[in-house]
Amino acid sequence: MSDFIGYLLTGLGIGAGYALVASGLVAIHRVTRVVNFAQGAFAVVAAMLTASLLSAGLPHGLAELTGVLTAALAGLFVGVIAIGRPGTTPGTSLIVTLGLGVSAYAVEIVIWGDQPRSFAGLPGVAVVAGARIQAHYLLILAVTGAVLGALAVFFARTDTGRALTACASNPYAARVVGIDVRRMGLLAFALGGALGGLAGVLTTPVQQVTFDSDVTLIVNGFAAAVLGGLTRPAVALAGGLLLGVAQTMLAGYGAGAYQLEAALVLLLGVMVVQAARRGPVPEAAR
Amino acid sequence: MNRATLAALAVVTLTLPPLLPDRHLATYVLLGLAATVTAGVSLLMGYAGQVTLGQAAFYAIGGYAAGLLTVHGAPTVAGLLAAPLVAAGAAVLLGAPLLRLRGHHLAFATLALQLILLSLLGRGDWAGGAIGLQGIPQLPVGGDLGYAYLVWTVVAVVLLVSHNIVDSRVGRGLRAVATSETAAAASGVAVGRYRLAVFALSAAFAGLAGGIYAFYLGYLAPGSFPVLLSIEFVVMAVVGGLGTTTGPLVGATVIVLLVQALNTLGTQPGMPGYAPGVLSYAVYGLLLVATVLYLPRGIVPTLTRRPPGGTS
Repeated sequence: MSDFIGYLLTGLGIGAGYALVASGLVAIHRVTRVVNFAQGAFAVVAAMLTASLLSAGLPHGLAELTGVLTAALAGLFVGVIAIGRPGTTPGTSLIVTLGLGVSAYAVEIVIWGDQPRSFAGLPGVAVVAGARIQAHYLLILAVTGAVLGALAVFFARTDTGRALTACASNPYAARVVGIDVRRMGLLAFALGGALGGLAGVLTTPVQQVTFDSDVTLIVNGFAAAVLGGLTRPAVALAGGLLLGVAQTMLAGYGAGAYQLEAALVLLLGVMVVQAARRGPVPEAAR
Repeated sequence: MNRATLAALAVVTLTLPPLLPDRHLATYVLLGLAATVTAGVSLLMGYAGQVTLGQAAFYAIGGYAAGLLTVHGAPTVAGLLAAPLVAAGAAVLLGAPLLRLRGHHLAFATLALQLILLSLLGRGDWAGGAIGLQGIPQLPVGGDLGYAYLVWTVVAVVLLVSHNIVDSRVGRGLRAVATSETAAAASGVAVGRYRLAVFALSAAFAGLAGGIYAFYLGYLAPGSFPVLLSIEFVVMAVVGGLGTTTGPLVGATVIVLLVQALNTLGTQPGMPGYAPGVLSYAVYGLLLVATVLYLPRGIVPTLTRRPPGGTS
């Protein structure tokens, strides 16, 4: 039983990382219809920068905050290039973000090299219901919960949040009532960058990060987000946690080697079932 | 492209191999392989209108099919024939469920396919595991020069097949699918079957190139087929021009030569050890972004100013 609790909490901690990446994807996709392939790169940049700042002597907290803010700036930068030109279709933007994600490799290797990086998180071991787990997993869960809660309040209660939601549900109507849809899109990209960066700085202490970690992150994040059709943040959160727990349980109870495959097959299955249920595919926007 | 240019191109292609030093001859062979795979990507993206991020998976399937058969004693010709067939068969099996997906869903699905394949190959002892499959015999074509002619014959055949498909009734149907599936279906185009056929054909191109690659290098490992390789093929197809016959050739040539030149620059004394890798990532990424934003139809359609062949 204590094994089970341990796997569950560890899985939730790992899943929280996927959920944050997924929330970033959803935030951007809702408003701009763009699937941001560079989402995993934000996590890598934030984590690498935080590692450098910590080893330069910056205190915990400040270093992580700088990492997340830098990722938000990176998000804004990607947004400007991906949706900045009028007439860029979401399909084109996907390819642009793919190109930017690959370019990010070059920048990351020049600055931080190609070796895995990590840094210390919350030290110590916590005992929950008889299970011993690294205390850092609890920190991940607490921060993720707080941030996503704050985000829900932001979307529901603030003018900017409501404007973002308006753009998500009907860009044309939003424009009519005077909302600058393009600026909201850029804001969504910055928000996505911050969420990706947060995923990076939170999970790096428990799993190292390399310049090409972004592929695993983006695939797992996409798998989580796709459960909610890339538009529902709450489902993306649930999807991320489910994915993390399923992978950890698989690893814990034997089939550890196949956890990546399990997640990917789940992703494929969900997408195929969704496509079958939707029936005839609506014409792609182009 | 008119007949005179085409003939000149063919003459240059055929006279070049004996004149090239060994180092460049290898690049020439690999360029031909890249052009073959890119021709398939260009058909798929240009006519089925879909981004594929897993084409290197079919390249790998072709390579491993040829490699495994011949390592276990089959004649090399059988391996070479099996490569495109196995890849196309895999594409039909996988494509039947997956081609219900569109746009970014299909992009991620193909990426997931490749990650699954790499992971399985890396753990499969029957495929040599992470160390790879060794001791694949050579094709009896007479060394590197023979490979160069073989590969470029394949390129010519693949481009001819693409050209004929593009110009045929099937090609018109595909172009209709790429523009509007609803309209195509309403005009009697069997959308699902057409998409599956293009998917299988593009996989066959990739598989054939993979088979030759296996014989040429004599060695295969999961690490030879990274996700970045799939992205490279997309970059080549987009830069050259989607839905054109010569676009893949131009795209592959431009990218391979550029990366080769930067590689030479990056390995100069005094350059840091990471320079070649960094330069090639930068080339792939920035060229893709710049092409999509400023030359959305790619090099070939922009230069020839023909109406775009399906993407608009």
